[in-house]
Amino acid sequence: MWREISKFGKKMVQCGLTHSHFGNISVRVGNKLIITRSGSMLDEIDENMVVELDLDKPGSFDTIASSEAIVHRHIYKETSALAITHAHSPFATVQSMVSSKNILIPTDCESKYFLHEIPIIIGGVGSKELAQNAANALKDHKGAIIKGHGPIAMGKIVEEAFVTICSIEHACKVKYFADLLLQRKE
Amino acid sequence: MFGWNGKIAKVYLTEKKTETVSLDEEFLTNYLGGRGLGVKFVYDLVKPGIDPLSSENILAFAAGPLTGTSCPTSGRYATVSKSPLTGSIFDSNSGGNFGPELKFAGFDGLVVLGKAEEPVYIEIHNGKISIKDARHLWGKNTREVNRELSKFGRVACIGKAGEKGVRFANIMNDYTHTCGRGGLGAVMGSKNLKAIVVKGNKKISISDRERYKKYFQDITRLLVASPVSSKGLSEYGTAVLVNLTNYMRILPTGNFRFSRFDFAEEISGEKINSVFPIKKTPCYACPIACKREVRNTEIEVPEYETISMFGSSCRISNIQTIMRANRLCNEYGIDTITTGSTIACYAELKGEELTDEKLLELVELIGERKGIGQELCEGSMRFARANKNPDISMQVKGLELPGYDPRGVLGLALGYATSNRGGCHLRAYMIGPEIFGKPKLVNRLTFSGKSGLVQVIQNLFTAVDSLVVCKFALFSVGEEEWANILSAVTGIEFVSESLLEIGERIWNIERLFNLTEKFSNKDDTLPERFFQEDGGVEGRNIKKDEFRASLLEYYRFRGWDREGIPTKEKLAQLNIQL
Repeated sequence: MWREISKFGKKMVQCGLTHSHFGNISVRVGNKLIITRSGSMLDEIDENMVVELDLDKPGSFDTIASSEAIVHRHIYKETSALAITHAHSPFATVQSMVSSKNILIPTDCESKYFLHEIPIIIGGVGSKELAQNAANALKDHKGAIIKGHGPIAMGKIVEEAFVTICSIEHACKVKYFADLLLQRKE
Repeated sequence: MFGWNGKIAKVYLTEKKTETVSLDEEFLTNYLGGRGLGVKFVYDLVKPGIDPLSSENILAFAAGPLTGTSCPTSGRYATVSKSPLTGSIFDSNSGGNFGPELKFAGFDGLVVLGKAEEPVYIEIHNGKISIKDARHLWGKNTREVNRELSKFGRVACIGKAGEKGVRFANIMNDYTHTCGRGGLGAVMGSKNLKAIVVKGNKKISISDRERYKKYFQDITRLLVASPVSSKGLSEYGTAVLVNLTNYMRILPTGNFRFSRFDFAEEISGEKINSVFPIKKTPCYACPIACKREVRNTEIEVPEYETISMFGSSCRISNIQTIMRANRLCNEYGIDTITTGSTIACYAELKGEELTDEKLLELVELIGERKGIGQELCEGSMRFARANKNPDISMQVKGLELPGYDPRGVLGLALGYATSNRGGCHLRAYMIGPEIFGKPKLVNRLTFSGKSGLVQVIQNLFTAVDSLVVCKFALFSVGEEEWANILSAVTGIEFVSESLLEIGERIWNIERLFNLTEKFSNKDDTLPERFFQEDGGVEGRNIKKDEFRASLLEYYRFRGWDREGIPTKEKLAQLNIQL
């Protein structure tokens, strides 16, 4: 399973969706979740850079897991997700910071069709508040943006969650330039 | 003066005299407090070659500039002396409330010299120092002494083992907090000093309260954000490590012959939490609260090191037995790592599978210094040598290795080998970067890049031991935050680099002390087992050429010559007078 995580970890960094040291990826396997380790580099994941956690109860292995493990666990428990990706992509982060609303509506055709709308949620790194807000948002959305932090997405496989992160970033990038040009025009 | 009290108490037991000595700001700025102050006193006052258990040795107690403030994890103090176990300079620090109370009583430290004719204890009450009769306390163990003296203040004391000169006897404060490892309790016993009681109501003055408040909040925020300090240690104590180290194949098993214990789950933090109702018993000003006991009892939950030594290393899978062994050690005042490791060495030598009953019996015999305990109380190095099998003692410079197999954490292997006090994980806790990924995850199975990292972390930890704050806070809080809050408290501007330089100065003084005690680069090594055997993981034995290259690189980073001797230029740079 670490190979799948490694493949999309590399892609996330190569695509500029996150820098090497930021972001995290996990997969649910039965009542376990396999997640990238704290301090690991997303584009250099090997079998030692992931850790298996119990889905139902935190344990000692949580201490070496990504600090967002609490958020991943909560999403798995409250949604049908089997894979989660989280990035610190710049356009999504910027859009979440300038938006005064808690929903971002994509303007481009593809994103409107694929995402409909993107919730903007709040909560500190690795906090219970963020865990709850993320789980609530992903009950009926493919992905969300943590305000000032970055997008988080779910899927049945890692690739699906990766595609959603790409879509969110694309939607935010297009919206950013469209808004900029519209402002200039006005 | 802000932060510090600017004075120490000196007690001459032979002459039954006490004295208050002022310390100037420049001296304190160079050595800070805790380990730094103690090391400087021992370096200046202890003559080379003396017997650590003679009246010529001294015993220093020192708090730091942050001790007694509300700064997170600052409730610590250090003890320093020449160790009867290793013969090296030896510092040991402890939490609880004794350190802050020493500051409230008006002193930054206490230096004990000479030897009392009869058992005594020292009482310090709001600046007044007294030597008192302790004949009624002699022969009693630590809990009883604590109970008897705590009505007068916070207590640091020894048990029977310290009186009887067990080479790894501890000083115990506030009942269960320990200045452990190097036998400073035996030094205390050799001076006929049973206890120290401190009490006071002096407030620690802070130079800039607004700045202090800001940095206090920064540190608190970082501690809360880190899963290691706010979840792992807080939830499971240090026992959180058992399952982790077992999974990573670094849990010492059967005296380090193996690195995985089949029954690790039975002695893990998770198991303890599931069996016992736990009550947290935090040290002064500590939000992490890793110290725990069983609710409605006075039974302390053992630390990871204790569990790994009495558990996996002695192949005991009953957590209740480990808790009893831990309790006995605390009662007698003996170090759990050295006790467990020496018993594991004994079991290997005798080819014996230890039963729960046998383990407890051996602990008791060591504490009482009776039967086979008379041999074991010398520590594993002397025991194995006396039995003509020195290679089965798992020690460096005479100090038994703690609960991490160095074959699976090579930065820590270098840290063990170069530690000034011997086989210790706390001089450079490489488990942070190599296991927890704090501050940054590094590859644990290579020496590459480790020599530079180890010496920087050693310098940082030495400074932290001199502030004195808890090393566990270093999972989340870096030198910059410590420098900031130290500046706010003292009114003297410290930056990260100055803290590291202070650490480096103290480290080099320790090295100089050891060199005069005939230690050399030949002692900067590991037990042969780690080079010859793989511990059950194919190919994991440490390659001698890689180890040697890393050691030489370490000397070069330190500004030492190829023999590991500090150069004149380095000493001049650190302002150390020979």
